[in-house]
Amino acid sequence: MRLPDSVTGSFLVALGAAAAYGGWILPPVPGQPVGPNVFPLVIGTGLALCGLAIVFGIGHSFEEEEELVPLEDGQAAAPPPQGKLYGLRALLPPALLLFYVFAADRLGFIVTAAIMVYVTSTALGAKWKLALPLAALSPFAIHLIFGKLLRVPLPAGLLPTPW
Amino acid sequence: MLKTLIEAFALISTWEVIIAMFAASVYGLVIGSLPGLSATMATALLVPVTFYLSPIAAIATIVAASSMAIFSGDIPGALLRIPGTPASAAYADEAYAMTRKGQAELALGAGVWFSAVGGIAGVLSLMILAPPLAEIALSFSTFEYFWLALLGLMCATLVARSSPVKAIAGMFIGLLVSCIGIENPGGIPRFTFGITDLFGGIEPIPALVGVFAVAQVMRAMLTPEPPPLPRRKFGSIMAGQWKLTKLYHWQMTRGNIVGIIIGVLPGAGADMAAWVSYAMSKRFSKEPEKFGTGHVEGLVEAGASNNASIASGWVPSLLFGIPGDTIAAIAIGVLYMKGLNPGPTLFTEKASSMYAIYLMFIIANILMIPLGIAMIRVAAYILLAPRSTVMPIIMLCCAVGSFAIGNNMFGVVTVAAFGVIGYVMEANGYPVAAMVLGIVMGTMVEQAFVTSLIKSDGSILPFFERPVAAILAAMAIGALLWPVMVWVWRKVKPPQAAAATGR
Repeated sequence: MRLPDSVTGSFLVALGAAAAYGGWILPPVPGQPVGPNVFPLVIGTGLALCGLAIVFGIGHSFEEEEELVPLEDGQAAAPPPQGKLYGLRALLPPALLLFYVFAADRLGFIVTAAIMVYVTSTALGAKWKLALPLAALSPFAIHLIFGKLLRVPLPAGLLPTPW
Repeated sequence: MLKTLIEAFALISTWEVIIAMFAASVYGLVIGSLPGLSATMATALLVPVTFYLSPIAAIATIVAASSMAIFSGDIPGALLRIPGTPASAAYADEAYAMTRKGQAELALGAGVWFSAVGGIAGVLSLMILAPPLAEIALSFSTFEYFWLALLGLMCATLVARSSPVKAIAGMFIGLLVSCIGIENPGGIPRFTFGITDLFGGIEPIPALVGVFAVAQVMRAMLTPEPPPLPRRKFGSIMAGQWKLTKLYHWQMTRGNIVGIIIGVLPGAGADMAAWVSYAMSKRFSKEPEKFGTGHVEGLVEAGASNNASIASGWVPSLLFGIPGDTIAAIAIGVLYMKGLNPGPTLFTEKASSMYAIYLMFIIANILMIPLGIAMIRVAAYILLAPRSTVMPIIMLCCAVGSFAIGNNMFGVVTVAAFGVIGYVMEANGYPVAAMVLGIVMGTMVEQAFVTSLIKSDGSILPFFERPVAAILAAMAIGALLWPVMVWVWRKVKPPQAAAATGR
């Protein structure tokens, strides 16, 4: 997902211009010299200027590559497996959150949460022997904390909790 | 005074207050250590419970829960690089680097010890310095507030490891996000694109959970599981803390002072205190190159600072009813509800209640040490669990926690969206913490900016006319322009340097 600075900088210029334009077309408050339009105008301009600076490499020399903390003796990290669609795996967590939004009311908290936990856990390399009990127990534990103790209204759906 | 003190002791030494305080402490520690649940949220969720308590017990729960939650936010920050509360975000990277170096005890011990010291320093400030400090803060006009808020925003660029221009860009993105909604000078829908859920704006907490927690789970999907930390029993949490206190006594004192000052200023709370102190610690350190690689110095200063600001945030709240931060804002509501109306008369008519509040703060901070150590020992087992068991539960906490803020699913959508934004930003060297700071402070900056512009009839000149405003303006503009100035200076310098060596 690493993009060249010229691409991210240009995106910021476009975003800044859009924000400034969006601010510009907002209606003013009658009888008042400044209204809701001023702040987006200032931010949009600032963002566009930053974008230009990034495109031209200003401040790039300050950037430090992330230093990895050395591993302790006898530890070696495996190289990441590579595949064509491997990068798309990163989108799994936000996709599961959206699944929660659409499914929780119909399926209920316990079932939706169990599916989320199972999928995330296996995607991170857990065997079914670990993922299955985790998916079966953790939704109840979370429900106990949030639903019962903190009184967050969690949907019952297909499988209501015993409490 | 002695009589008042004895009366205050009598007020707090009832079973109701003792039990309420202990339970609220444990509750605050647990909520603060759950990623995504802030100290403010912990306090807000307590308000319904306070209906059933006496005034002193009600205040005791708020004092204890907020102090504990601010400290325990450090625990997941240090163990998982996911700050439990925004106030821990400034130094979560640093603490996590220490854990990876095998210094988890030192990082967490510094968290609990310097938080307690900072908290007690904050109470002393509340007792001694409250009236004069509040007077100074009250003499500030919106012009000073605007520059002060801008300076606070600039702190994000000082602590960033990436290019300052990218940090400033991140901050602007955050400010842009804060523009969304109808909470603006005109009260009209702004950048809502007709979506009613956006009318209320983007809440900082789901945004923060998204960029810090969800983005972390996203990264975990692509990176191989790091080798497990050596299986060993956690050593003494407090070992070495006295040595650190002696070594970094000046940093600790400075953190306390900065935390107290920031706490007193209305609107600027523990989050800003931690950011400013961490930035100052790096700026004035003798070993700035060690920052970011697992160095305890910044933790000492920022940890002391955020807890100091909690107590001092009560100064403007108690004296004038102006909240120092969001937690104090909730506390004011409870004070009114319980008949302890904030105002100068509180100090004369209900002096014993005031002293009771001071005493409760001191007790809460002393209690933080044993309870904090116990909490660390329980939480440390997270380190032994494989990533495939911890990450799914964090995901679930993100979904439920963000839903709980407004009891609507839009919070969960926000978390997902900000997860993607945070992931992309971090992958490209844009510090996400700068964006979070922009979102948190955006409304305050806009209010100060627009109110000042209305007062000055659209003129920019009054922003620089008052002496304090002029000094703050010079500092803020200097911080904004320094990357460009250094860039120009470096462009000009090489030919001269070459000429000098040629001679």
